[in-house]
Amino acid sequence: MQADATEKRMRELMLAALDGDAAAYRRLLAELTRYLRPWFAKRLSPSHASHAEDLVQETLLALHTKRSTYDRSRPFTAWLHAVAHHKFVDHVRRHAIRPTVHLDDDAPIFAFDDSAHAADRRDVDAVLTEVPERTADLIRQTRIEGASIAEAAARHGISETAAKVSIHRGLKSLMNRFAGGSK
Amino acid sequence: MTNELIDRLSAELEPTPERALEKRLWLALSIGLVGTILIGPLVLDVLVGRPFGGAWGNSMFWGKLAYTIGLGTLGLIAVPALSRPDQYRIWPLLLAGALAVLALIVGTLGWMRSDWAMSVLMGGTALVCPWLIIVTAAPLLAVLLGMMRRFAPASPTMAGLAAGLLAGGFGAAAYAFYCGETSMMFMATWYSLGIALTALLGAIIGRYLLRW
Repeated sequence: MQADATEKRMRELMLAALDGDAAAYRRLLAELTRYLRPWFAKRLSPSHASHAEDLVQETLLALHTKRSTYDRSRPFTAWLHAVAHHKFVDHVRRHAIRPTVHLDDDAPIFAFDDSAHAADRRDVDAVLTEVPERTADLIRQTRIEGASIAEAAARHGISETAAKVSIHRGLKSLMNRFAGGSK
Repeated sequence: MTNELIDRLSAELEPTPERALEKRLWLALSIGLVGTILIGPLVLDVLVGRPFGGAWGNSMFWGKLAYTIGLGTLGLIAVPALSRPDQYRIWPLLLAGALAVLALIVGTLGWMRSDWAMSVLMGGTALVCPWLIIVTAAPLLAVLLGMMRRFAPASPTMAGLAAGLLAGGFGAAAYAFYCGETSMMFMATWYSLGIALTALLGAIIGRYLLRW
Protein backbone atom coordinates (compact mmCIF):
# COMPACT_ATOMS: atom_id res chain seq x y z
CA MET A 1 0.00 0.00 0.00
CA GLN A 2 1.27 3.41 -0.95
CA ALA A 3 -0.44 5.06 2.05
CA ASP A 4 1.42 2.78 4.45
CA ALA A 5 4.73 3.65 2.84
CA THR A 6 3.85 7.35 3.22
CA GLU A 7 2.93 6.83 6.85
CA LYS A 8 6.14 4.94 7.53
CA ARG A 9 8.34 7.57 5.88
CA MET A 10 6.55 10.54 7.46
CA ARG A 11 6.49 8.98 10.89
CA GLU A 12 10.22 8.25 10.76
CA LEU A 13 10.89 11.87 9.79
CA MET A 14 8.60 13.11 12.57
CA LEU A 15 10.23 10.92 15.22
CA ALA A 16 13.67 12.11 14.10
CA ALA A 17 12.42 15.71 14.21
CA LEU A 18 11.06 15.25 17.74
CA ASP A 19 14.53 14.09 18.74
CA GLY A 20 15.94 17.34 17.36
CA ASP A 21 17.03 16.35 13.81
CA ALA A 22 16.59 19.64 11.93
CA ALA A 23 17.37 18.14 8.51
CA ALA A 24 14.67 15.49 8.89
CA TYR A 25 12.29 18.19 10.13
CA ARG A 26 12.95 20.36 7.10
CA ARG A 27 12.31 17.41 4.79
CA LEU A 28 9.11 16.55 6.63
CA LEU A 29 7.77 20.10 6.35
CA ALA A 30 8.71 20.35 2.67
CA GLU A 31 7.04 17.03 1.88
CA LEU A 32 3.91 17.89 3.85
CA THR A 33 3.60 21.14 1.91
CA ARG A 34 3.28 19.12 -1.29
CA TYR A 35 0.41 17.11 0.14
CA LEU A 36 -1.33 19.91 2.00
CA ARG A 37 -1.47 22.45 -0.82
CA PRO A 38 -3.71 20.40 -3.17
CA TRP A 39 -5.73 19.09 -0.21
CA PHE A 40 -6.65 22.60 0.92
CA ALA A 41 -7.04 23.89 -2.64
CA LYS A 42 -9.61 21.20 -3.37
CA ARG A 43 -11.59 22.28 -0.32
CA LEU A 44 -11.76 25.96 -1.25
CA SER A 45 -13.78 27.53 -4.04
CA PRO A 46 -11.65 29.01 -6.87
CA SER A 47 -12.27 32.54 -5.53
CA HIS A 48 -10.58 31.54 -2.27
CA ALA A 49 -7.77 29.52 -3.84
CA SER A 50 -5.26 32.03 -2.50
CA HIS A 51 -6.16 30.93 1.04
CA ALA A 52 -4.62 27.52 0.43
CA GLU A 53 -1.11 28.85 0.94
CA ASP A 54 -2.15 30.54 4.22
CA LEU A 55 -3.67 27.30 5.39
CA VAL A 56 -0.54 25.34 4.53
CA GLN A 57 1.47 27.78 6.61
CA GLU A 58 -1.00 27.75 9.50
CA THR A 59 -0.85 23.96 9.51
CA LEU A 60 2.96 23.86 9.48
CA LEU A 61 3.00 26.41 12.29
CA ALA A 62 0.50 24.36 14.31
CA LEU A 63 2.57 21.23 13.72
CA HIS A 64 5.54 23.14 15.12
CA THR A 65 3.93 24.64 18.22
CA LYS A 66 1.73 21.61 19.00
CA ARG A 67 4.21 18.85 18.18
CA SER A 68 4.31 17.76 21.82
CA THR A 69 0.71 16.56 21.45
CA TYR A 70 1.78 13.92 18.92
CA ASP A 71 1.68 10.55 20.68
CA ARG A 72 4.69 8.64 19.32
CA SER A 73 2.87 5.32 19.48
CA ARG A 74 0.12 6.46 17.12
CA PRO A 75 0.01 7.04 13.33
CA PHE A 76 1.54 10.36 12.33
CA THR A 77 -0.61 10.87 9.24
CA ALA A 78 -3.77 10.62 11.37
CA TRP A 79 -2.43 13.25 13.77
CA LEU A 80 -1.41 15.56 10.95
CA HIS A 81 -4.77 15.06 9.27
CA ALA A 82 -6.54 16.09 12.49
CA VAL A 83 -4.37 19.21 12.76
CA ALA A 84 -4.98 20.19 9.12
CA HIS A 85 -8.71 19.51 9.43
CA HIS A 86 -8.89 21.61 12.60
CA LYS A 87 -7.04 24.47 10.89
CA PHE A 88 -9.31 24.26 7.87
CA VAL A 89 -12.54 24.32 9.89
CA ASP A 90 -11.19 27.17 12.01
CA HIS A 91 -10.11 29.16 8.94
CA VAL A 92 -13.41 28.64 7.17
CA ARG A 93 -15.37 29.78 10.21
CA ARG A 94 -13.20 32.83 10.81
CA HIS A 95 -13.38 33.98 7.21
CA ALA A 96 -16.99 32.91 6.67
CA ILE A 97 -15.94 31.03 3.54
CA ARG A 98 -18.23 28.59 1.83
CA PRO A 99 -16.16 25.43 1.40
CA THR A 100 -16.45 23.40 -1.81
CA VAL A 101 -16.28 20.14 0.09
CA HIS A 102 -18.43 19.43 3.10
CA LEU A 103 -16.63 20.05 6.40
CA ASP A 104 -17.20 16.48 7.50
CA ASP A 105 -15.70 15.04 4.32
CA ASP A 106 -12.49 13.57 5.61
CA ALA A 107 -10.77 12.54 2.40
CA PRO A 108 -7.24 11.56 3.38
CA ILE A 109 -4.54 14.18 2.91
CA PHE A 110 -2.02 11.64 1.77
CA ALA A 111 -4.02 10.39 -1.20
CA PHE A 112 -2.67 13.10 -3.52
CA ASP A 113 0.55 14.96 -3.87
CA ASP A 114 1.32 17.69 -6.36
CA SER A 115 4.93 16.78 -7.06
CA ALA A 116 4.46 16.83 -10.85
CA HIS A 117 2.04 13.90 -10.70
CA ALA A 118 4.26 11.09 -9.60
CA ALA A 119 1.85 8.40 -10.81
CA ASP A 120 1.64 9.90 -14.31
CA ARG A 121 5.40 10.01 -14.45
CA ARG A 122 5.60 6.32 -13.61
CA ASP A 123 3.14 5.52 -16.42
CA VAL A 124 5.20 7.49 -18.91
CA ASP A 125 8.34 5.65 -17.87
CA ALA A 126 6.59 2.32 -18.33
CA VAL A 127 5.33 3.25 -21.79
CA LEU A 128 8.69 4.53 -22.95
CA THR A 129 10.36 1.17 -22.29
CA GLU A 130 8.57 0.03 -25.47
CA VAL A 131 10.85 2.08 -27.77
CA PRO A 132 14.67 2.10 -28.09
CA GLU A 133 16.46 3.81 -25.25
CA ARG A 134 17.76 6.74 -27.26
CA THR A 135 14.34 7.40 -28.77
CA ALA A 136 12.79 7.26 -25.30
CA ASP A 137 15.33 9.80 -24.03
CA LEU A 138 14.65 12.12 -26.94
CA ILE A 139 10.89 11.93 -26.42
CA ARG A 140 11.24 12.54 -22.68
CA GLN A 141 13.51 15.51 -23.18
CA THR A 142 11.53 17.23 -25.89
CA ARG A 143 7.96 16.38 -25.00
CA ILE A 144 8.06 16.28 -21.18
CA GLU A 145 11.04 18.24 -19.93
CA GLY A 146 10.58 20.96 -22.50
CA ALA A 147 13.94 20.86 -24.27
CA SER A 148 14.09 21.94 -27.92
CA ILE A 149 14.82 19.37 -30.60
CA ALA A 150 18.17 21.03 -31.28
CA GLU A 151 19.20 20.71 -27.60
CA ALA A 152 18.11 17.08 -27.39
CA ALA A 153 19.91 16.24 -30.62
CA ALA A 154 23.10 17.91 -29.38
CA ARG A 155 22.97 15.92 -26.14
CA HIS A 156 22.94 12.68 -28.09
CA GLY A 157 25.44 13.83 -30.71
CA ILE A 158 23.10 13.34 -33.67
CA SER A 159 21.74 15.75 -36.25
CA GLU A 160 18.52 17.65 -35.68
CA THR A 161 16.88 15.85 -38.61
CA ALA A 162 17.85 12.44 -37.22
CA ALA A 163 16.38 13.43 -33.85
CA LYS A 164 13.12 14.60 -35.46
CA VAL A 165 12.80 11.34 -37.39
CA SER A 166 13.60 9.28 -34.33
CA ILE A 167 11.02 11.08 -32.19
CA HIS A 168 8.40 10.84 -34.90
CA ARG A 169 8.97 7.09 -35.38
CA GLY A 170 8.99 6.47 -31.67
CA LEU A 171 5.72 8.30 -31.09
CA LYS A 172 4.15 6.55 -34.07
CA SER A 173 5.07 3.13 -32.77
CA LEU A 174 3.73 4.04 -29.31
CA MET A 175 0.46 5.20 -30.91
CA ASN A 176 0.17 1.89 -32.71
CA ARG A 177 0.94 0.00 -29.56
CA PHE A 178 -1.27 1.90 -27.07
CA ALA A 179 -3.81 4.04 -28.89
CA GLY A 180 -4.90 1.60 -31.57
CA GLY A 181 -3.07 3.37 -34.39
CA SER A 182 -2.52 7.04 -35.23
CA LYS A 183 -5.04 8.92 -37.34
CA MET B 1 6.90 32.46 1.75
CA THR B 2 6.23 28.88 2.79
CA ASN B 3 9.89 28.04 2.22
CA GLU B 4 10.94 30.87 4.52
CA LEU B 5 8.58 29.52 7.15
CA ILE B 6 10.10 26.05 6.78
CA ASP B 7 13.59 27.53 7.14
CA ARG B 8 12.56 29.41 10.26
CA LEU B 9 10.77 26.49 11.89
CA SER B 10 13.56 24.01 11.26
CA ALA B 11 16.11 26.49 12.60
CA GLU B 12 14.02 26.88 15.76
CA LEU B 13 13.57 23.14 16.29
CA GLU B 14 14.29 21.87 19.77
CA PRO B 15 14.01 18.25 20.88
CA THR B 16 10.67 17.25 22.39
CA PRO B 17 10.89 14.73 25.24
CA GLU B 18 8.84 11.55 25.07
CA ARG B 19 5.40 11.79 26.68
CA ALA B 20 5.86 15.57 26.82
CA LEU B 21 2.13 16.20 27.22
CA GLU B 22 1.82 13.95 30.27
CA LYS B 23 4.93 15.45 31.85
CA ARG B 24 3.53 18.95 31.47
CA LEU B 25 0.24 17.84 32.96
CA TRP B 26 2.00 16.38 36.02
CA LEU B 27 4.00 19.58 36.45
CA ALA B 28 0.85 21.73 36.29
CA LEU B 29 -0.92 19.38 38.71
CA SER B 30 1.92 19.60 41.25
CA ILE B 31 2.13 23.40 41.11
CA GLY B 32 -1.63 23.86 41.09
CA LEU B 33 -2.15 21.49 44.03
CA VAL B 34 0.24 23.56 46.16
CA GLY B 35 -1.91 26.62 45.47
CA THR B 36 -5.13 24.74 46.19
CA ILE B 37 -3.79 23.30 49.45
CA LEU B 38 -2.65 26.78 50.53
CA ILE B 39 -6.23 28.05 50.13
CA GLY B 40 -7.03 25.92 53.21
CA PRO B 41 -5.02 27.76 55.89
CA LEU B 42 -5.02 31.14 54.10
CA VAL B 43 -8.66 31.47 53.11
CA LEU B 44 -10.81 28.75 54.67
CA ASP B 45 -9.20 28.98 58.14
CA VAL B 46 -8.34 32.67 58.47
CA LEU B 47 -11.03 34.36 56.35
CA VAL B 48 -13.94 31.92 56.65
CA GLY B 49 -13.08 30.67 60.14
CA ARG B 50 -13.02 26.95 59.43
CA PRO B 51 -10.49 25.04 61.54
CA PHE B 52 -8.47 22.25 59.91
CA GLY B 53 -9.95 18.78 60.44
CA GLY B 54 -13.58 19.73 61.01
CA ALA B 55 -14.82 16.18 60.48
CA TRP B 56 -11.86 14.17 61.76
CA GLY B 57 -12.77 10.76 63.07
CA ASN B 58 -16.07 10.65 61.22
CA SER B 59 -16.34 7.87 58.64
CA MET B 60 -17.96 10.33 56.24
CA PHE B 61 -14.70 12.26 56.10
CA TRP B 62 -13.12 9.29 54.34
CA GLY B 63 -16.18 8.94 52.15
CA LYS B 64 -15.83 12.55 51.03
CA LEU B 65 -12.14 12.07 50.41
CA ALA B 66 -12.71 8.93 48.33
CA TYR B 67 -15.54 10.49 46.32
CA THR B 68 -13.74 13.74 45.51
CA ILE B 69 -10.39 12.13 44.74
CA GLY B 70 -12.24 9.58 42.59
CA LEU B 71 -13.82 12.37 40.53
CA GLY B 72 -10.53 14.24 40.37
CA THR B 73 -8.74 11.12 39.14
CA LEU B 74 -11.32 10.65 36.39
CA GLY B 75 -10.60 14.27 35.41
CA LEU B 76 -6.90 13.48 35.43
CA ILE B 77 -7.54 10.60 33.00
CA ALA B 78 -9.87 12.75 30.89
CA VAL B 79 -7.44 15.66 30.35
CA PRO B 80 -4.82 13.82 28.25
CA ALA B 81 -7.59 11.85 26.52
CA LEU B 82 -9.08 15.15 25.31
CA SER B 83 -5.96 17.26 24.76
CA ARG B 84 -4.81 15.91 21.41
CA PRO B 85 -6.17 16.78 17.97
CA ASP B 86 -6.58 13.14 16.96
CA GLN B 87 -8.16 11.82 20.15
CA TYR B 88 -11.56 12.43 21.64
CA ARG B 89 -12.34 9.99 24.42
CA ILE B 90 -15.04 11.11 26.82
CA TRP B 91 -15.59 7.91 28.77
CA PRO B 92 -13.84 9.29 31.90
CA LEU B 93 -16.33 12.17 31.91
CA LEU B 94 -19.26 9.82 31.48
CA LEU B 95 -17.92 7.67 34.30
CA ALA B 96 -17.68 10.76 36.52
CA GLY B 97 -21.31 11.54 35.77
CA ALA B 98 -22.31 7.98 36.63
CA LEU B 99 -20.36 8.18 39.90
CA ALA B 100 -22.21 11.36 40.86
CA VAL B 101 -25.56 9.76 40.09
CA LEU B 102 -24.59 6.74 42.20
CA ALA B 103 -23.64 9.01 45.12
CA LEU B 104 -26.98 10.81 44.83
CA ILE B 105 -28.87 7.50 44.90
CA VAL B 106 -27.01 6.26 47.97
CA GLY B 107 -27.42 9.68 49.61
CA THR B 108 -31.13 9.75 48.91
CA LEU B 109 -31.56 6.30 50.48
CA GLY B 110 -29.78 7.54 53.62
CA TRP B 111 -31.89 10.68 53.66
CA MET B 112 -35.03 8.55 53.34
CA ARG B 113 -33.97 6.46 56.37
CA SER B 114 -33.57 9.67 58.39
CA ASP B 115 -37.18 10.51 57.44
CA TRP B 116 -36.27 13.34 55.04
CA ALA B 117 -34.93 15.55 57.81
CA MET B 118 -33.95 18.89 56.28
CA SER B 119 -30.77 19.03 58.35
CA VAL B 120 -29.45 15.90 56.63
CA LEU B 121 -29.68 17.57 53.24
CA MET B 122 -28.68 21.09 54.20
CA GLY B 123 -26.30 20.55 57.13
CA GLY B 124 -25.05 23.92 58.35
CA THR B 125 -23.05 25.05 55.34
CA ALA B 126 -24.99 23.96 52.24
CA LEU B 127 -25.20 27.41 50.70
CA VAL B 128 -21.51 28.22 50.98
CA CYS B 129 -20.11 24.76 50.30
CA PRO B 130 -20.22 24.82 46.44
CA TRP B 131 -18.72 28.32 46.31
CA LEU B 132 -15.91 27.48 48.70
CA ILE B 133 -15.11 24.40 46.62
CA ILE B 134 -14.78 26.62 43.53
CA VAL B 135 -12.51 29.00 45.45
CA THR B 136 -10.37 26.12 46.70
CA ALA B 137 -10.15 24.63 43.20
CA ALA B 138 -9.41 27.94 41.47
CA PRO B 139 -5.57 27.95 41.75
CA LEU B 140 -5.35 24.41 40.37
CA LEU B 141 -7.79 25.20 37.56
CA ALA B 142 -5.85 28.33 36.61
CA VAL B 143 -2.49 26.53 36.44
CA LEU B 144 -4.01 23.63 34.51
CA LEU B 145 -5.72 25.80 31.90
CA GLY B 146 -2.57 27.91 31.56
CA MET B 147 -0.48 24.82 30.82
CA MET B 148 -3.12 23.37 28.53
CA ARG B 149 -2.79 26.31 26.17
CA ARG B 150 0.21 24.42 24.81
CA PHE B 151 -2.00 21.43 24.01
CA ALA B 152 -4.14 21.03 20.91
CA PRO B 153 -7.54 19.65 21.98
CA ALA B 154 -9.96 18.43 19.34
CA SER B 155 -12.62 20.23 21.41
CA PRO B 156 -11.40 23.11 23.60
CA THR B 157 -14.69 23.09 25.52
CA MET B 158 -14.45 19.42 26.46
CA ALA B 159 -10.77 19.76 27.38
CA GLY B 160 -11.73 22.67 29.65
CA LEU B 161 -14.49 20.57 31.18
CA ALA B 162 -12.00 17.80 31.93
CA ALA B 163 -9.62 20.31 33.53
CA GLY B 164 -12.52 21.65 35.61
CA LEU B 165 -13.43 18.15 36.79
CA LEU B 166 -9.80 17.50 37.74
CA ALA B 167 -9.48 20.80 39.61
CA GLY B 168 -12.95 20.51 41.15
CA GLY B 169 -12.35 16.98 42.42
CA PHE B 170 -8.99 17.69 44.03
CA GLY B 171 -10.18 21.12 45.19
CA ALA B 172 -13.14 19.51 46.95
CA ALA B 173 -10.78 16.95 48.51
CA ALA B 174 -8.70 19.79 49.94
CA TYR B 175 -11.87 21.53 51.11
CA ALA B 176 -13.07 18.35 52.86
CA PHE B 177 -10.34 18.87 55.51
CA TYR B 178 -12.10 22.06 56.57
CA CYS B 179 -15.68 20.82 56.36
CA GLY B 180 -17.61 19.46 59.36
CA GLU B 181 -20.56 18.00 57.48
CA THR B 182 -21.17 14.29 58.08
CA SER B 183 -24.10 13.26 55.88
CA MET B 184 -23.88 11.33 52.63
CA MET B 185 -26.74 13.29 51.12
CA PHE B 186 -24.97 16.55 51.88
CA MET B 187 -21.85 15.38 50.08
CA ALA B 188 -23.74 13.89 47.13
CA THR B 189 -25.62 17.16 46.61
CA TRP B 190 -23.34 20.04 47.53
CA TYR B 191 -19.92 18.60 46.84
CA SER B 192 -21.17 17.33 43.48
CA LEU B 193 -22.62 20.76 42.74
CA GLY B 194 -19.33 22.49 43.64
CA ILE B 195 -17.33 20.12 41.43
CA ALA B 196 -19.86 20.41 38.60
CA LEU B 197 -19.72 24.22 38.74
CA THR B 198 -15.92 24.10 38.64
CA ALA B 199 -16.12 21.79 35.62
CA LEU B 200 -18.59 24.16 33.97
CA LEU B 201 -16.28 27.09 34.66
CA GLY B 202 -13.42 25.14 33.10
CA ALA B 203 -15.54 24.40 30.02
CA ILE B 204 -16.50 28.06 29.57
CA ILE B 205 -12.94 29.32 29.99
CA GLY B 206 -11.53 26.46 27.94
CA ARG B 207 -13.83 27.23 25.04
CA TYR B 208 -11.98 30.51 24.53
CA LEU B 209 -8.60 29.99 26.17
CA LEU B 210 -7.78 26.60 24.68
CA ARG B 211 -8.58 27.51 21.08
CA TRP B 212 -5.69 26.95 18.71
